[in-house]
Amino acid sequence: MSLWRDISRGETRIDFVGLRRRWFYISAVLLLVSVATVTALGLNLGLEFTGGVQVQTENRSGVAVGELESAITGLGVVDFRIQEIDEGQSIRIQTGPISSALEDEMVASLAVLVGAPPEDVNRQAVGPTFGALVARRALWALGVFLGAVVIFISIRLQWKMALSGIVALLHDLVLTIGIYAITRFEVTPATVVAALTVLGYSLYDTVVVFDRVRELEGDYSDVLTYSEIVNRSMNMVLARSINTSLTSLIPVGSILFVGSLILGAAPLRDFSLALFVGIAAGTYSSIFVASPLLALWREREVAWTDQRRRMARKRGGSDRDLPEEPTEPAEPPTTSELFSMEGGASPRPPRRRRRR
Amino acid sequence: MLRRVIGLLIVAGIAWGGLAAVYLLGIEPKLGLDLQGGTSVVLTAPDDTDPDVMEYAVEIMRSRIEDVGGVQEPEISISGGTTVLVQLPGVQNEQQALDAIGRTGRLSFRPVLESTPGLEGPLVTTTTIAQSEGDEPAAEEATTTSTAPVTATTLPDVPEGVDPITGLTVSDDPDTIAYLPNFSLFGMEVLTVGPAAMTGSDVSQALPGFNSVSAQWVVNLSLTSEGGDLFAELTGQAAGYPIGDPRRQIAIVLDGQIIASPQVAEDVAAGVGITGGDAIITLGADPAAEDQAQNLAVILRYGSLPVAFERSQVEKVSATLGSDSLQIGLISGIAGLVLVAVVLLLYYRALGLVAVLGIAVFGSLLIAIYALLGHYQGVTLTLAGVTGIIVAVGITADSYIVYFERIKDELRAGRTVPSAAAQGFRTAFRTILTADTVSILGATLLWLLTVGAVRGFALSLGIATVLDIFVARTFTRRAAWVLAHSPLGRKGWFSMPAAAGESR
Repeated sequence: MSLWRDISRGETRIDFVGLRRRWFYISAVLLLVSVATVTALGLNLGLEFTGGVQVQTENRSGVAVGELESAITGLGVVDFRIQEIDEGQSIRIQTGPISSALEDEMVASLAVLVGAPPEDVNRQAVGPTFGALVARRALWALGVFLGAVVIFISIRLQWKMALSGIVALLHDLVLTIGIYAITRFEVTPATVVAALTVLGYSLYDTVVVFDRVRELEGDYSDVLTYSEIVNRSMNMVLARSINTSLTSLIPVGSILFVGSLILGAAPLRDFSLALFVGIAAGTYSSIFVASPLLALWREREVAWTDQRRRMARKRGGSDRDLPEEPTEPAEPPTTSELFSMEGGASPRPPRRRRRR
Repeated sequence: MLRRVIGLLIVAGIAWGGLAAVYLLGIEPKLGLDLQGGTSVVLTAPDDTDPDVMEYAVEIMRSRIEDVGGVQEPEISISGGTTVLVQLPGVQNEQQALDAIGRTGRLSFRPVLESTPGLEGPLVTTTTIAQSEGDEPAAEEATTTSTAPVTATTLPDVPEGVDPITGLTVSDDPDTIAYLPNFSLFGMEVLTVGPAAMTGSDVSQALPGFNSVSAQWVVNLSLTSEGGDLFAELTGQAAGYPIGDPRRQIAIVLDGQIIASPQVAEDVAAGVGITGGDAIITLGADPAAEDQAQNLAVILRYGSLPVAFERSQVEKVSATLGSDSLQIGLISGIAGLVLVAVVLLLYYRALGLVAVLGIAVFGSLLIAIYALLGHYQGVTLTLAGVTGIIVAVGITADSYIVYFERIKDELRAGRTVPSAAAQGFRTAFRTILTADTVSILGATLLWLLTVGAVRGFALSLGIATVLDIFVARTFTRRAAWVLAHSPLGRKGWFSMPAAAGESR
């Protein structure tokens, strides 16, 4: 409980930057798994990307799949797949591209077999190029968006922050795609929407965190090293990050679990899974990927290297003891050590009045 | 104090009053087909299609769908440059409507064989009589239709594609004779037109123009070399009839509709026709003729649909699936919101109350805006749009959290409660603005550059993010100020200092 109290008061002393290897390992493993799964299994591309016809209806008469199969084969449809969904309550048939006349015939005979009026049959017919069009446009938009965001964050904050943010964003994107490969959820244009959301969210979150770093940079530029500033910022925004991911994940999670897993609505499920994973990854990567990366990068600047030397002398060390990289424990600390470590400011300098 | 309270009440009044007003006026957000049921079609034109041409194509599709009838409120919109999204709520006649939309029209130039004044074709008089005499026994046998035997049966000798009652051609085949109504300055007539002598593909260019000598609006028509020969033959035949004879006209027919029926000019010799592959169609001097010239030129250039659309996606959602998705979305959305409210109240205490009220203001404004957009602009709320809203609710909740965490920081730094609320807002608002700008930037670009579902998402995300900034500036700041000056700003387990962990 006191840990929670510390988080809430922004008084934790977690050394986010010093422990960067640990976070980077975790991310690397996750990324590897994602990339490996996508290459090995590929994605379960939806109808929009493959082209074809999908028909879905309630199975009122409870007709057997085998019977449907022979009926559809009888019509001359070669390449098709029948699934029972909603615990056999409904039937879904997917075919390759077929003519619309054949599609009508198929729907008509299906309607008779399952005992539902033809108007109640959901149909979707897609040309094979449409999904590609959606995806191509989305990729194009993504490229322009990233360019614009780099410029905006460079102006509003710093260009190194912009690039660190983009790295975190790509990290989240790869993880989200990986989840789709692993769970075999269908990739539809809806999923593309969700993936784009993830990007927006990931950047949004990174901006909130970096905004605090930039502010503290002004306040503590002569008493702390850059890594310490980043650490302090992270500890200060930790409560916000946790609360925000909670409040963002609750509605999405509610749709994912209540909506689609219990009540069974496929379109919503496609959306919410990508959102859930992406938002979680977005919060994680702002703190554990983007920020340590930024610290590592800025520490190499001459001004901050000098600052680090000055601090080391002032705190009683000597130049010789100073490691090239920001301080880092030789052994990865255990979890209990994690929260007692003094990677941050030591001793805590007097709080200055914020300039404004 | 009073001023802030009034300001607060005004904002809340606008939001809740606005919502109540649109509700009472019966204006509701318009639901997309994925939530309501219906058919949606995405048509894709070739990549380099001109925007004007797209607009024109959409106009044609709209009138075609209206011709089909039985489709309630079709929505046709251009999205992302070269795709057209056609939405047909309801399911009546939807197959017929679908067929009508995508078809490129057939433009034909045909000789005029006969003109019958009035609204009925030349077949009607003879066939109705023949039918009422010869078919009477048959009509009596059909016991269910005791009235109007003429309409109950099909005329035996009416050619295919001709309506038996009006004697007009309903489905035109350019290779046969057709009976088509023509509306001219002199009233209505039915022209009997022969099989097509030439088609739209024989036209190489058609441009509107103004003849300054005769002060008349014209269309300058250029034909291909093959078309030029056909045209000479067609006009040569027509020129064989005297001026004023209906047969001296050339009927320009598009999809069974006579678009124009110009008469061949006086100086054209019979049997020779208009040679050289160029012709001028004169439309007259009055101001309306300018528009007519424009329209005729476009039709001559493009046929009916100026581009060949590819049918990229057809999706039919039954009304049940649509309302299921909506219901599940609503239930889980509301459940999520309630949970968020509980978390905020527990963690931020009185400040959580500000957040919950603020989100209520935000939500009311959003619903009202969507209702108005749906009513006046035909904007529909789709599943993707709902997703955008869910994300935006997350972003709004985050704005409160960023702000409240700032207040806590300031309180711990030793500020008084009112001063912490004011100072916290200043710094937090900068952060919120920066982060929201990124979201708005993304939403705008997605809206401009993408197609299909993504745009619905972009729109709702964009609107909601702008609202977030608005509510933060007008409502949240004042509410926090009022709270800071109320008893809840000082003490008690629910108070602001308690949330910051500063008081017991």
